[in-house]
Amino acid sequence: MARAAVFRFGLLLLLWVAIAGAEPADLAVGVVAAMLATWASLRLLPPIQVKPRPGDLALLLLRFPWQAVSAGAEVARLALDPRRRPVPATIAWTPRLPPGGARDAFLAYASLLPGTLPAGDLPGGAIAIHALDGAAGIADAMSEEEARFARALGLDG
Amino acid sequence: MSLLADVFTIVAVLAGLVFFIAGTAGLLRFPDTASRLHALTKADHLGLGLIVLGLLPRAGGMGGALRLLAIWGLVLVSSAAVGPMVARLTRGPEGRE
Repeated sequence: MARAAVFRFGLLLLLWVAIAGAEPADLAVGVVAAMLATWASLRLLPPIQVKPRPGDLALLLLRFPWQAVSAGAEVARLALDPRRRPVPATIAWTPRLPPGGARDAFLAYASLLPGTLPAGDLPGGAIAIHALDGAAGIADAMSEEEARFARALGLDG
Repeated sequence: MSLLADVFTIVAVLAGLVFFIAGTAGLLRFPDTASRLHALTKADHLGLGLIVLGLLPRAGGMGGALRLLAIWGLVLVSSAAVGPMVARLTRGPEGRE
C-alpha cells in the first residue's frame, strides 16, 4: 500500500507539473492537490498486483491509437450516413478476470475500444456489454481483448 | 518547414472537427442512451486527439505539448470511468430502458 501510495503521488505530482508548471509557489498547491488525489485514488481504486510484461504492454499501448481511430471512424460513419441507423444490442459476456480492481480496469479500457461499452453486472456473474451496431462477434472480441490486457499486465498468472 | 507544420495543423484540426460534428450528429440521431455514449466518447475522443495532435507543433515547447497531451489523457480517463457508469445506470433492472 505504501509503495502504491508513493508511486501514485509521484505520478499525480508529475501530472500537476505538466499542467501547471514547476514554480515554487504553484508547486506547494500541487503537492497538496497530489496528496488529496492520492488519497482519493487509493480509496476508489485500491492497488492491484500487476507484473507488466514490457513487450505485450508496448503492443497494447501501440494498438490503442489504431483502435481509437477505428472506433471513432465507425461511430462517425454511422452518425453521418443518413441511410444507416445503428442497431444497438446488449449482450451478456462472462469475463475471465475475477471481480475486483483488475476487471474494473479492463472494463474501463474496453469502453474506449471500438463498438463496445460495458454497462454493469448481470445476475449470474456476466457483464452487460452494449454494442453499437449488432451483437455479432462482440463476445469473442471482448474475450480476445481481455486476454491481451491480462497478458500485458501479467494478470493471467 | 513552417508551411508544412501549418498544413499539418490545419489538416489535423479540421479532421478533428469532422469527428466532433459526427459525435454531435450521433448524440442527436442515435436511438438510446448507451448508443449516444458511444458517439460522445469514441468520436469525440478521436476528434480531440486529432486537434491535440494538430496543435502540438504550435504548442511552443515541451511544456505546452505536455499540457495538451495531459488534457487528452484526462478526458480519456474520465470518460472511461464515467461512460460505463452512465450506461449501467440507464440500463435499468430489466436490461432495457
